[in-house]
Amino acid sequence: MLINFPYISRDTPVHRLNPRTKVVLLLVFSLCIVQTSNFWVMLVGLLIAFFYYSQAHLKWSETQRTWKFILTFITIVTVVNYFLSDGAVVQGVDLSHQHVLYNLPFLGFRRQFPYIGPAPLIFSIESITFMLTQAMRFLSIALFAVPVSYTTPPDQFGVTFRSLGLPDKFSYAIDLSFRFLPTIMRDFSTTLDAQRARGFEIDKLRGGIFAKIARLAPMIVPVVIGSIVGAEDIISAMELRCFGVGKRTWITELHARPIDRVIITLSIAGFFAITLLNILGNYYGSGFLHVLHVQGIPGFLAP
Amino acid sequence: MAVTEERSASKVWRVGVRQVVYMALGAALYAGLTLPTNLLPVPSAGNVSLRPAIVIPLFFGVVFGPVVGFFAGAIGNTISDLISGYGIVWFWELGNGILGLIAGLAFYWTWGYYRSTRNIVIAEIFSAVGIVVGLGIAAYSDIWVYKLSVAGATSELVAAGGTDLVNGLILLPILLVVYNAAMRRVGRG
Repeated sequence: MLINFPYISRDTPVHRLNPRTKVVLLLVFSLCIVQTSNFWVMLVGLLIAFFYYSQAHLKWSETQRTWKFILTFITIVTVVNYFLSDGAVVQGVDLSHQHVLYNLPFLGFRRQFPYIGPAPLIFSIESITFMLTQAMRFLSIALFAVPVSYTTPPDQFGVTFRSLGLPDKFSYAIDLSFRFLPTIMRDFSTTLDAQRARGFEIDKLRGGIFAKIARLAPMIVPVVIGSIVGAEDIISAMELRCFGVGKRTWITELHARPIDRVIITLSIAGFFAITLLNILGNYYGSGFLHVLHVQGIPGFLAP
Repeated sequence: MAVTEERSASKVWRVGVRQVVYMALGAALYAGLTLPTNLLPVPSAGNVSLRPAIVIPLFFGVVFGPVVGFFAGAIGNTISDLISGYGIVWFWELGNGILGLIAGLAFYWTWGYYRSTRNIVIAEIFSAVGIVVGLGIAAYSDIWVYKLSVAGATSELVAAGGTDLVNGLILLPILLVVYNAAMRRVGRG
């Protein structure tokens, strides 16, 4: 059983970015986008995310399995959340003056026993807009997250986190994890074949749920214990080479280009601006400074 | 000559060569075993899917300490997400790390030795608490990040935490018993 890292070697603007820039962009964008549910701000964020993703030049055939899962997940989570919250998912909006379009007879949660009872599921302009902004939020974060896997070589993650401030030992452990992965998959494949030769069939486990889980042990236990016992040689080798004594150097050096510095600076500045606007919005009840605290319902949806 | 083993708080949180290797091994095992075993269906039990790999951060936490457990959970889940192409989902990586960290707090009482039923029970209790707290942090963070309702986040916790509790708590004692036997065989038990 082989491990296929999704990294695709290509020369694109996103591939040329420093891995630190991609990680920082993802983190900063996530922190910015969670601060508002304004439809227009979310739309701008989504457009920025689409542009960033387009610069990675990833083909649908290369990423379709990932996107099918993500899009299915987004659909399920937003729809299920809508039903579980009786359609009243809007935060910070006066729900007593909703523009209700339709009431669907449904079930809802109650404070008293039996805690579930009949309740109308409200479809209003406000709640539908909120569901749209929720889906846009999920999608825009995914558009920043997916290129991290497909445009960054696996052997650069350790030095990336080291340059972001993670201590040497933890960064080296990340690199060592990637090194262990193919070995573990090979051992797993060998163990599975050996157990199958002894009559173990993973897709025909007998018994109830607890018995089924316990019968997975022949698949997992040999791999885990074998790896731990085999790790002693690696520990001894590292100790003999004085690992951990003194500052560590890395074979890969990351160099930040001017474009990386500009992008990181702009993204951090944008984060501070959004955060300041968010804070000021608590003190100003209307106007531009309050924009992050209103839904900004689009004209074609407004009554 | 008797050898006195150091048992102090500093030993619990120490990160030496041994801990670095076990951190890496735990993360690789968690990522590697998540990929082929995730979403194994159990049709007779409804929507329960087997995720036996959850036992890895629990095991590494209770045997090698909270730092190793945290790293195995957080980085293992990160690597699994990276290989699957999903990128980095910050709070779910953190939640998986906290799961291993809390399980690893059992080290204060057991010092990594699980030859008695008492110690195995302690490991199970800390693992159960770790699963609930770790996945709770991950699920309820979605209220802030993705603006889910409390009910929506709770449904995430029940779905993820329920299956992980069942998988982890059944497989952990099996792994601990076999680990004891293996360590005795190589002369370190």
